[in-house]
Amino acid sequence: MKHRSSLLLALAALLVLAVVPVFVRGIFIQGIFISIFFYTGLTAAWNIPVFGGKLSLGQAGFFGLGAYTAAILYVDYGIVPWIGAFAAILVALLGALVLTPSLILLRGPFFTLASLAFAEVLRLVAIYWRGLTGGSTGISIPFEPGWQNLTFETNVPFYYISLMLAATSVGISYTIYRRAFGYHLRAAASDEEAAQALGINTSRSHVVAFLWSAGITGMLGAFYAFYLYTLEPNTFFSLALFSLQPALNGIIGGMGTVWGPVLGSAVMTPLAEFLRIYLGDVQEGLNFLIYGLVLILVVQTIPGGIVSVLSRLSRRLGFRSEEASAKRGNDK
Amino acid sequence: MIELIAQVIVAGILLGGVFALIASGLNIIFGVVRIINFAHGELVMLGMYATFFLHSIWGIDPYLSILAVAPALFLVGVIVQRLVIQPILDASAISKIFATVGLSLVLMNFALILFGGDFRSVRTSYSDSTIGIGPINVNIPRLIAFVVALVLFAGLYSLLRYTFIGKAFQAVAEDRSTAQLMGIRVERLYLLAFGLGAALAGVAGALLMPFATVYPTVGISYTLIAFVVVVLGGLGNMTGTLLGGLIIGLTDSFSATFLSPSLSTATYFVLFVVVLLVRPSGLFGKGKGTEEVGLR
Repeated sequence: MKHRSSLLLALAALLVLAVVPVFVRGIFIQGIFISIFFYTGLTAAWNIPVFGGKLSLGQAGFFGLGAYTAAILYVDYGIVPWIGAFAAILVALLGALVLTPSLILLRGPFFTLASLAFAEVLRLVAIYWRGLTGGSTGISIPFEPGWQNLTFETNVPFYYISLMLAATSVGISYTIYRRAFGYHLRAAASDEEAAQALGINTSRSHVVAFLWSAGITGMLGAFYAFYLYTLEPNTFFSLALFSLQPALNGIIGGMGTVWGPVLGSAVMTPLAEFLRIYLGDVQEGLNFLIYGLVLILVVQTIPGGIVSVLSRLSRRLGFRSEEASAKRGNDK
Repeated sequence: MIELIAQVIVAGILLGGVFALIASGLNIIFGVVRIINFAHGELVMLGMYATFFLHSIWGIDPYLSILAVAPALFLVGVIVQRLVIQPILDASAISKIFATVGLSLVLMNFALILFGGDFRSVRTSYSDSTIGIGPINVNIPRLIAFVVALVLFAGLYSLLRYTFIGKAFQAVAEDRSTAQLMGIRVERLYLLAFGLGAALAGVAGALLMPFATVYPTVGISYTLIAFVVVVLGGLGNMTGTLLGGLIIGLTDSFSATFLSPSLSTATYFVLFVVVLLVRPSGLFGKGKGTEEVGLR
């Protein structure tokens, strides 16, 4: 009954996190929590196609599409962000549809490259298309506090919003992982041909997983736009921030697992903030240099990420019997 | 109008030669080591910075600096292969992708830390000089870059074709384990291949320097260019790489002139995805073993 206990644990964590703002008043610490939640959502969304073995580095594209959609609708047309967020999801889904042929036809690194190119093209277009996006200067969302405008005097509402977004993303990823659809994806990841031979429409599975991933990422982008309230292409379509960082969190936490992205984001985001603040002053870029090194080392030494280390540890400490672990098989 | 088009074609072809050189390095690394090197553009970037500093500190001419840049980048390649790639040769495809993505992050930010984020370029006495061929003006540094690239390309071609090492490369590319059984020291050959690929990228960087700018994140576009070229020409196919380079050079030159310079990169990224989809084996046929890295 492992999955019931992990659900209970998640629920407990959610409850604890829900009362944190009551005790933690510092804007800085609250900001870090909000970052963790956004990145948990992004990483869990990035991770859904990874169940099927598809590695996207184009998430920044969906994120930026969502952010710009919601912001442009609000600033230019006065449409409230709550509706804008739905439009953001739709536009991100359309973006994902553009990439579906490469998703189906290309394998391994070539899909990854195509997705990377997709996000870079969007960034360049966003810089170029001044009339719509404001070019490199970007868009500023006017500060008019109020729930309907998704603009607040304090960080607390965004704390809860981002927590709910993260929970939604992880919840969707969890549900997909557990259902037949998730098994189809995992079968496709381990052997595409064998899965097809067993009657699984692997192309369809990959596409549906990718659409979920893109839609969630677009929605997160919309909310993040109103959290930062200034948008510019090099931030919102940033390869480093929104394509590489979620992938990094995912691989360090344990990619292709449900909890790996959560752990990875929880560990890496504070570390990133710390490095950015304390090393960023000393030396710009040092944080990403360290990331790169960590990434290489993780891939070389613990390719299964933190989750695999934890499960090995819990087995050794006897929390879980060998038999139960064996039964769970590749359920890392 | 015709003169303009001729001008654009010439510029495109000249640039294409350098693109082909960058891509040939990627292609060798791919063909022999079977690694998709996401950090290839960063190797070009290192070559560009090395050239820049040799010029700004000691006043060494960019073309002379090739003599130093090539061995330096060869060494970088060997170190990368030994420390980053060798340990994960038998790991999953995803691990391989991430190892080189990590490497690209390391090199990019290494450059940012050491050299700062400024755009830098090398100004030489001949940077703006041109030579007129009929009505067409040809920029001399671009012409030199093209010629040197072609010479190196020819050298590479004969190396692969006529020397023992070249034959060993081909043997390993064809069948790693049989080559090993025949007494080829595969791991040593991998070091050589990665070093050679990196050196070619570095030399291309040096050739670009008199007319291009370098900054820490410039590598991404060169990585993608190299991939477009290699995919267009067919993975593992050297002649295809040269033709692919010329096609992308022309695309770059045309879209920069007739569309917008800021969209030229976007144009060949789109072209890249389209080519991957329409003809993943490349326009001129693929080499052996491409299935292994996921191209059908």
